[in-house]
Amino acid sequence: MDHFYTLVFVVANVLSYKCVGCSLPLPNFIILFADDLGFGDLSSYGHPSSLTPNLDKIASNGLRFLDFYSSSPICSPSRAALLTGRYQTRSGVYPFVFVPASRGGLPLNETTIAEVLKPSGYATAIVGKWHLGVGPKRMYLPTNQGFDHYLGVPYAHNQGPCQHLTCFPPDIKCFGMCDQGSVAVPLMANTTIKQQPVNFLDLEKAYSDFATQFISMSARRKQPFFLYYPSHHTHYPQFAGKGTAGKSPRGPFGDALMEFDSTVGNVIQALKDSGVHNNTFVFFTSDNGPCLMRKSRGGNGGLLKCGKGTTYEGGMREPAIAYWPGTIRPGVTHALASTLDLLPTIAGLAGAKLPRVQLDGFDMRDILFKQGPGKREAMFYYPIDPSEHGLHAVRLGRYKAHYYTEGSFLSGTTPDQDCHETAFLKHHDPPLLFDLEADPSENYNLATPKHPEFKAVLQQIQDVKAEFEEGMVFGEAQMRKGIDPALEPCCTPQCSPKPTCCTCS
Amino acid sequence: MGFNLIQIVSLLLLDCLCSCWSKTPTNGSAPNIIIMLMDDMGWGDLGVFGQPSKETPNLDRMAAEGMVFPNFYASNPLCSPSRASLLTGRLPVRNGFYTTNAHARNAYTPQEIVGGISDDEILLPQMLKKMGYINKIVGKWHLGHRPHHLPLDHGFDEWFGAPNCHFGPYNSSFRPNIPVYNNSQMVGRYYEEFKINVKTGESNLTQIYLEESLEFLRAQASIRRPFFLYWAVDATHAPVYASKRFLGRSQRGRYGDAVIELDYSVGVILKELRRLGVAKDTFVFFTSDNGAAVMSGPKQSGSNGPFLCGKETTFEGGMREPAIAWWPGHITAGTVSYQLGNIMDLFTTSLALAGLTMPDDRIIDGLDLTPVLLNDSLIDRPIFYYRGNEMMAVRVGQYKAHYWTWSNSWEEFNKGINFCPGQDVAGVTTHTQKEHTMQPLIFHLGRDPGEKYPIRQVFRPHPDAATRAVLVPKLLHCSTRRETFGGDACGSANVMSGEYQAILQKISLVVEQHKSGLVPGVPQLNMCDLAVMNWAPAGCEKMGKCLKAPKSQPWKCEWPH
Repeated sequence: MDHFYTLVFVVANVLSYKCVGCSLPLPNFIILFADDLGFGDLSSYGHPSSLTPNLDKIASNGLRFLDFYSSSPICSPSRAALLTGRYQTRSGVYPFVFVPASRGGLPLNETTIAEVLKPSGYATAIVGKWHLGVGPKRMYLPTNQGFDHYLGVPYAHNQGPCQHLTCFPPDIKCFGMCDQGSVAVPLMANTTIKQQPVNFLDLEKAYSDFATQFISMSARRKQPFFLYYPSHHTHYPQFAGKGTAGKSPRGPFGDALMEFDSTVGNVIQALKDSGVHNNTFVFFTSDNGPCLMRKSRGGNGGLLKCGKGTTYEGGMREPAIAYWPGTIRPGVTHALASTLDLLPTIAGLAGAKLPRVQLDGFDMRDILFKQGPGKREAMFYYPIDPSEHGLHAVRLGRYKAHYYTEGSFLSGTTPDQDCHETAFLKHHDPPLLFDLEADPSENYNLATPKHPEFKAVLQQIQDVKAEFEEGMVFGEAQMRKGIDPALEPCCTPQCSPKPTCCTCS
Repeated sequence: MGFNLIQIVSLLLLDCLCSCWSKTPTNGSAPNIIIMLMDDMGWGDLGVFGQPSKETPNLDRMAAEGMVFPNFYASNPLCSPSRASLLTGRLPVRNGFYTTNAHARNAYTPQEIVGGISDDEILLPQMLKKMGYINKIVGKWHLGHRPHHLPLDHGFDEWFGAPNCHFGPYNSSFRPNIPVYNNSQMVGRYYEEFKINVKTGESNLTQIYLEESLEFLRAQASIRRPFFLYWAVDATHAPVYASKRFLGRSQRGRYGDAVIELDYSVGVILKELRRLGVAKDTFVFFTSDNGAAVMSGPKQSGSNGPFLCGKETTFEGGMREPAIAWWPGHITAGTVSYQLGNIMDLFTTSLALAGLTMPDDRIIDGLDLTPVLLNDSLIDRPIFYYRGNEMMAVRVGQYKAHYWTWSNSWEEFNKGINFCPGQDVAGVTTHTQKEHTMQPLIFHLGRDPGEKYPIRQVFRPHPDAATRAVLVPKLLHCSTRRETFGGDACGSANVMSGEYQAILQKISLVVEQHKSGLVPGVPQLNMCDLAVMNWAPAGCEKMGKCLKAPKSQPWKCEWPH
């Protein structure tokens, strides 16, 4: 066994480090990005009733991260950071999220992973939820951000009225109302609207077909590719087509998760069928913690505290799996890592140039191929609105210090009062200190007079924080550019009355 | 389907490559049986069950080679009753391991307890003896410490371990330290001959228990007689301990050190079975007696993963247990069974494996799991959650109905004893004994394993019965409001109410049937007396360790929880 691996690793290392520009093919990249999926939502992370056979397979044959973080407890900022390798504070994707009428978007001068890969000849595609702005003349859509192809809903699928839409077959209406007063949620191909409102029952199949066709087409052309699949699953309102509706023991949430899982299975099968299975780096994770306000239709953070919208562990610690058969050794890792680290890692693997800006990510290749601890020593937790007080918390090694804590309505309804909207912003001096290994649930504060031995740890964290904040330059807040209802995507632009008249099938 | 197929597939691969399973083929006769029972270990303590520090490689591998049960339960949220159920196949309320001193109280066997396992109960080793099994218990007995309660009087041929928990050290003029027995004779006491350093957490007891087991396995393998080993180790019960070379190994602290040492020991035992060539002839089951003792957190407690509360409670955290069955060549490797299992099933299943028929003069609550283990079948069965003399809750399929809720009393809670740290669910984790018999609180454990969101039922006083306080479910009306984030608190409430009605009907039938056939056993855990403590256990004379007992002054034990 060990010999087998050693051999594979020698080959892999040669492949990944030495072969830039030589005749061996460049690796392909796939990022599978779930929405509002919590640390405890997969059976491979301890959920007792989720059914995800395909994710289980890539988990058992891949490297599972146990200390992996998104950069934000909420959607748009987290996605901006993943694609740019920079904290959302730099790109200006804050506070909160983009709405259909937002004037702002991910600034075009930011460099996405797709843009990093283009000069090396990669085919690039995104399928699913963009949520980094539409903007005037649809200027912020993915095809202006390095992606050759796009099929998807440009924002969250609850950002348009859904009370009359069907979420489960044969005709079970979506649970709840979603956002009123906006246009119906559109499905876009590149920059044109294909469908409005989107048909949830067929959506996943359309995504899956798009993804597998992109894979097989690129492989046929022998072109290296990058596929980014930010799924709508398992965000509210949950939906699923007839393939998985009613099939999981976990109700609507479980069915939605199972539908996402089926696409994961189709993507892996497409890699196998196209003969590129062993030359593709697949990475799975989620954008932020579970939306606990949805109760049993929200996700599950396992034993972590609170969820979406908060800087407790439940808000930002994510399940994450790196999969590359024959190259990444199956197992688990405790290395500290983040969505921020994907860009430098992918650039490294492709031999592509890093953008000439301040990056916050670290190359993960030591973790992926050498079972190493990785280069990341700290994780910084920005709240939904980072412009008020900056960082809310810092993790250094096994310790995490909270300088500020605040609940969020997104984590409301949980038994823990600290998670609720009514837990107002609170400054902690000295900070709350938790040992995340011994106390992953952040129950037992160590920064008390009873534990003077932790003073040194706090000082260390304080130093790391000060150094980080000194180097932080805030970009212009894109969400503060305001809204213009005329910017909402409408397939019949001349119709009236808006927004309800915007429909085409 | 894949529960944690995670480690599973990769480990399987490992096994195919360096296969060293048993050399002798199964001869078709009754298999050896090993039950590994942990103490206060929680559902979430194993890597394969999602523990984020992932420090149980041997158990994770055992899971990869065997069958994992994510829906496996203890019969009770406390140790003694749960252990009595394991060995009798019967609910504590039938086998007498409960108290009637107060309503719904957890009772166990501290050393002032007068009672213990009744001679009328038939224990698993007594039955196995009929088929020529040699039975050994290693570790904690906990079914009574007076001479006629001890293991060798109830079917075990050998014993190395102690009758009670390893609390202490005590001042022996007021309270004797717990004796450690080798078979029928004491060979020392905890904190005296068998050291436990409460301050550092150091003790080599797990190593002793491991060595005892290995010797037993080797001896039985050499004489080729079927054996039953009940490995009841207690390092994860407070005060948690580990031997020197394991201390400080865990990222999780001292509790984690204890887990790592137990995990290591499991690995050694399974390896020894292979070395002896009996792996294919040995059925091994790993589980725990009750949920993690989260009130002792963080240093002395494990984790119940996503479940509510822990030990002492009838929420999932108190009774859902990690469980792994292992029997190479018989149980398909890397499988997950969603069967609702119970610790009482180990009695019934072991009898079936040994080719024995069930005792027919009494009600046996355990289920024969062999169809599940060998054919991956699913058997419909309810789970009853008892606390003392009260059926607090019942699970039918994915639904769980709470007829009573209680964490602990305000008085105890205000002393700082918290059975549900960080998990105060209003109206659910109540600090008074709250009755819901008329309208049970119902949860769907598939959608909501953490028991946080009772299935909706809205009440309105019956128009003509305001004084009778008759409550009827009514459809919920939702207010529509603009939601920035789609915040919707209502949704399809009528569906939920319909769901509530339908499932309540089904559950009520199950409960009715259970209660109509229930004849409570004579409660064994009502009386306490300082005179019955371990003052002068058999063998104390030889060691000069007999202590003088005070005069007998029995009283009704107080059970605060």
